[in-house]
Amino acid sequence: MGNNGRRVGIGVLLRVLVRAFLLQASWSFERMQSLGFAWALAPALRRLYPDDAAFDERLRYHAEYFNTQPYLASFIIGAVVRQEESRAAGNTTGDDIQALKESLMGPLGALGDSFFWGSLKPLAAVIAAAMIIVGWLWGPLLYLLLYNFWHLGLRTGLLFWGYASSGDAVALITGFNFTTWARLFKAVSLAVAGAIVGMMPLWSAEFRLEVPASAQGIALLGAASTILMLVLMRRGGSPIHLMLGLAAFCLALAYLGVIG
Amino acid sequence: MIAALAGGVIGLDRTAAGQFMVSQPIVAGPLTGLILGDVMAGLLIGALLELIWVMDVPVGTFVPANQTVAAVAATAIAVIGSGGSAPLSAIGFVLLLTVAMSPLTMIVETAMRKGNARLGTSLFASSGRPAAAALSRAHLAGLALFFAKSFLLCLVLVPAGLLALEAFERLPAVFHEAMMLFVKLLPLLGVASIARKLSIRIFDRFLVGGFLLAAVLGLAFAVSPAVIILLAVAAGWMGVRFHG
Repeated sequence: MGNNGRRVGIGVLLRVLVRAFLLQASWSFERMQSLGFAWALAPALRRLYPDDAAFDERLRYHAEYFNTQPYLASFIIGAVVRQEESRAAGNTTGDDIQALKESLMGPLGALGDSFFWGSLKPLAAVIAAAMIIVGWLWGPLLYLLLYNFWHLGLRTGLLFWGYASSGDAVALITGFNFTTWARLFKAVSLAVAGAIVGMMPLWSAEFRLEVPASAQGIALLGAASTILMLVLMRRGGSPIHLMLGLAAFCLALAYLGVIG
Repeated sequence: MIAALAGGVIGLDRTAAGQFMVSQPIVAGPLTGLILGDVMAGLLIGALLELIWVMDVPVGTFVPANQTVAAVAATAIAVIGSGGSAPLSAIGFVLLLTVAMSPLTMIVETAMRKGNARLGTSLFASSGRPAAAALSRAHLAGLALFFAKSFLLCLVLVPAGLLALEAFERLPAVFHEAMMLFVKLLPLLGVASIARKLSIRIFDRFLVGGFLLAAVLGLAFAVSPAVIILLAVAAGWMGVRFHG
């Protein structure tokens, strides 16, 4: 079974990385990302276990259960490849690898959700949407560039980091401070969101409000309306409720002849 | 059919493949608009849906409404239903239609992910036979299912939406005026939606600071909006760096 200390090599690691982009192709409530995890590892396992029976056993082993934030999964995949090298050489047991996976899945899932979904995504969205609202139509491209600079950089780098560090999560968290960056991105998102309202009189023609009021009056009206919606949301209103309420409000204004 | 294919392909990026965010409404909307001949409609629909729904995220086992399908279908309905160039009232109406689409996409998405549990069965049942081929088949079948889900949703939602838009176009002018105003006010709902999730305060200092910066520079000093956005980014950044 052993491979006498064989390393998988950069070519195999790159194949694993490419496959990691399809980690969630068969996502299900029961097994979550487990099939994708085993499928991504397959090139490395094939390299380490030339014997078919051993290879099949490792594939089935890794297809049992896996779930974390899909981008930070790269770190765990890299770490597991390194651990499998060690196991194939007879230095690590399967239990150690399972323990490593279990210890990383939850924390990295929470960290990744907070960083990517909770701060980077709104940052890219609010900047790009602000650009579109004021008439700069390359917003979608800016969105993709802003987001994928971090996404691709971290997703790629973390696979090699996980491999090199054998899954040292402490080194990861001290080396890249996800929490600080997330706080920064949230603050910037809020500042740009506020600027969207402050620029209301300068919005592009499609969005500009045509009402008999000064520019300052329109900006203040926008701020008051936003605060009202924010208060309603805090009291349990969902975006769906507010969209319906807003549509009804607009209809009432049109019916009363306030607009049009 | 073209819109459904676009929905199917773009929808893969949402969960199954890559997650480069091409599937987010702000990109999926204009892409659909580009394919169908009206980028502007897609841009407006995409930007607004993005702002409103960006904080609806897939954490743990929570499956949010599929805003990719909503953006693609809404853009297709607006563009096809308006004969190539969607007026603002039609854009407002299709945005309102997404309210009805969202729960349906959530139900279908959840059902499909429950069904995906069957994919691994062959792998675990085939003990003694090569696992790699069974794994590849099962995993890549999931990709096909994700495509089929978005494709079929668009295939159902777009014709249904076109019928609704046709009915809307026959309504009195007052409804059209209302939908135009609706589009103009939706960015404020988007800002409220983001602020609600990013801060526990109603008068968050960054939100208020961004508002004041934009209002003062834009209205008193006629600074261009693009520069204001850059300055808001810098102000937020420095606010955290130097004042925590």
